[in-house]
Amino acid sequence: MIDALKQWTERLLGRGDAAITVPVLDGALRSNRLIEDAEVVAQLDAPEDLASDGHSLFVADGARVLRVDGAGAHTAEHTFDRTVSALACLPGGGIAVALGGSEVRVLGGPHNGRRFDAAGGRRLNAVNALAATAGARLLASDGSQTHPPERWKHDVMELGRSGRLVELDLADGGTRERAAGLGYAFGVAAVGDDAAWVCESWRHRVVQFGGASSGRTVVDALPGYPSRLARAQGGGWWLTCFTLRTQLVEFVLREPVFRKRMLKEIDPQYWIAPALTSGNTYLEPMQGAHLKTMGVVKPWAPPRSYGLVVRLDDEGLIRYSLHSRFDGKHHGIVAAVERDGWLYLLAKGPRRLLRLSIAAAQASLAAS
Amino acid sequence: MSAVAPILALRKATKKYAGVPAIEDVDFELLPGEVHAIVGENGAGKSTLTKVMAGVVNLTSGDMLIEGRIVDARTPTEARDLGIAMVFQETSLVPTMTVAQNLYLGRERYFNRLRGIYIAAQQFMQSLQFDVDPTAVVSRLGAAQKQMVEIARAVLHNAKVIIFDEPTASLTPEEKKYFFDLIANLKKRGVSVIFISHALEEALQVSDRITILRDGKHVVTDETRRFDRARIVQAMVGRDLSQTLYGQRKTSVRAQGRRVLSVQNLRMAAMVKNNSLSVFAGQVTGVFGLVGSGRTETFKVVAGIAKRDFMHGGEVLLNGRPVRYFVPASAVRDGIVYVTEERKIEGFFETKSVADNIYLGLLAKLRGQRTLVSKSEAAAVGEHWIKRLNIRAISKDVKAIELSGGNQQKVVIAKSLIQEPELIIFDEPTRGVDVGAITEIHQLINRLADEGKAVVVISSYLPEVMSLSDRILVQRMGKVVEEFSALEATEEKIMYAAIH
Repeated sequence: MIDALKQWTERLLGRGDAAITVPVLDGALRSNRLIEDAEVVAQLDAPEDLASDGHSLFVADGARVLRVDGAGAHTAEHTFDRTVSALACLPGGGIAVALGGSEVRVLGGPHNGRRFDAAGGRRLNAVNALAATAGARLLASDGSQTHPPERWKHDVMELGRSGRLVELDLADGGTRERAAGLGYAFGVAAVGDDAAWVCESWRHRVVQFGGASSGRTVVDALPGYPSRLARAQGGGWWLTCFTLRTQLVEFVLREPVFRKRMLKEIDPQYWIAPALTSGNTYLEPMQGAHLKTMGVVKPWAPPRSYGLVVRLDDEGLIRYSLHSRFDGKHHGIVAAVERDGWLYLLAKGPRRLLRLSIAAAQASLAAS
Repeated sequence: MSAVAPILALRKATKKYAGVPAIEDVDFELLPGEVHAIVGENGAGKSTLTKVMAGVVNLTSGDMLIEGRIVDARTPTEARDLGIAMVFQETSLVPTMTVAQNLYLGRERYFNRLRGIYIAAQQFMQSLQFDVDPTAVVSRLGAAQKQMVEIARAVLHNAKVIIFDEPTASLTPEEKKYFFDLIANLKKRGVSVIFISHALEEALQVSDRITILRDGKHVVTDETRRFDRARIVQAMVGRDLSQTLYGQRKTSVRAQGRRVLSVQNLRMAAMVKNNSLSVFAGQVTGVFGLVGSGRTETFKVVAGIAKRDFMHGGEVLLNGRPVRYFVPASAVRDGIVYVTEERKIEGFFETKSVADNIYLGLLAKLRGQRTLVSKSEAAAVGEHWIKRLNIRAISKDVKAIELSGGNQQKVVIAKSLIQEPELIIFDEPTRGVDVGAITEIHQLINRLADEGKAVVVISSYLPEVMSLSDRILVQRMGKVVEEFSALEATEEKIMYAAIH
């Protein structure tokens, strides 16, 4: 009763959970065009994840795993009967792939052929990121128990809180559920002996599980929806955010009746919801502020889709960020890998593999 | 010198406050029937210059001439008798009286027939084509109508010169248009108008000539058609004084720490409009904006001094936790202190000693934890902070009012720092402070950031913002419109963002 009264008051006054506010892109999150200006390495069909073994770059593209060279030429390394939803290179050799979100399979290396379709007594449902640990174990973020990976938009609009972090032992086939009830687990990294960072996309944060500070929020109040984490050379992490939060979406998320009706009656691509790409049809919902003035798209307009990569240090502090703004095309960045001074990015919106020189990006940011 | 004899002139006008010149050796001429805009940064001396003309303050040296004759207007009444009237930003009307009563205030006879005053006022307002009911109570009038009454009163007093200080700051676009028509009307009647405005487009639109002041000195006077926005901005900010006072350009900035404060979509009446910003630990965040841009109001909400809109007022997050303070004491307990720009009104108790003032800061932090006030502790605290901040007082027992501006400011800062804050907001930290104290206060601000505190410096003085800040936020019309790194910022860029 008191809770209901509190909720009603907050809705009336626009406070607390009903405050339709979003964090601002300032400080180290100040916008730029570095992702938009990145070089296009390859145009792909259905890119999903990136991984590197230190020598080669692998891309999950639909049901295939491609090996890509620096010039963008690619060859299919593996082909499956289902979409590859996550990819990781294993330290002892071989790769691990998640297929359709419901199965994790190891190919090559000492654990070749190992398969997992459940963990902690529950079936895998939406595995979207894998990270190898030092001790022949694999961490997997299982986004949702209710929707497969391709229906992530349904999960966010239903305020899904069924994500989990699971650990898969490659040596003996054992599994363990490390955390559950996550607001869409999307992205995982092994950061220490037993510690892992997990991105909670719908809560806009990165949380640590295990280690000395288990349960600590490493990065909070992100202005976007975080996705995968990748190790940065020289310490720290690359965190990709597949789009930005907007007041309009935040508002819709707080309007259950409208939201339920929208989910029931409207085609998902026209929902007022986070998107990986936009500007493709006039049927897309408009937001506050004009999108175009005299035929020119305003880069600062509230975005339907956006490209954002955040550079974190070892403590999770944001050092700088790379952007493709609303007037750009390189949106929906879902994965990043650093190799030989280059940062490779997967832009799921335009289905492109991009790369940019990290030294040049840092020089550009230092000058601005 | 112009061919037409000026109606009002100032020669080598200097006005000093406690030895610090607000204007220095300023020459100024106002021609008959012209609209003359005076432009400059905050603190450039615009208001002082016009207050001298209106008899509100008196010159330290120099002369004022009316129609070639040296005059000495020592009070507003004397200036009014000389035909000079000033319309202040905050109107000087009596809100509980009617329009007609306000018009004839100070011109009453022994016996006044109210009906006669109303009829005369009606006729007079009609002659000016002002659509204001003379029987209306002033408190019920809108901003533009109050301006009209002020103008009417000035004309009624046969003013040959009318000075407007930021006349459009509180007007709506429609009211502004009406106001500009009024100015044109006055010009036709042969009245000379002096017009202070931060809005450069207004100065370019309505004036015949523009005078630019900088650091209390006259920079240039020229016909408006010879100016464009870029030339005005350059003249407003290009200065030599900044180099000597504030040193060289920054070559490095502090790394950003964790986000201490996040203001999201904050609203507060008409002053703060959907404002969002962040403040990080270990950095000085400079906030620049012209008067009325909502800088102070934003941070007063953060510090619990002012309240955001009751409904849909946005959010303030301190270390990721939503906070809403109803009194400053709650903010102080959470580690937020606000060093006020109005130190004499809000900063200290002027009749209390330095030690007592500083000790009060500690008591505010420990509210409810102390039942007895310890005189010896107050003395020890006073001694400690006088030494630490180099407060130049004869003793800890000297009253705050007896200190110089710089030392008073140090007392206010000490009173805040004793509360061991995590976030320190300095609002105009060096306003009215002598040059030596400015340097010390700047060193202190830098030291706080080096110690890992989150520091905010709100300042209207561009060189100060640029020399102190690691990142600079520019506010305009109630919200942050631009952010610069200290490495990329130039005075022109910042001013451009603040005005456009």
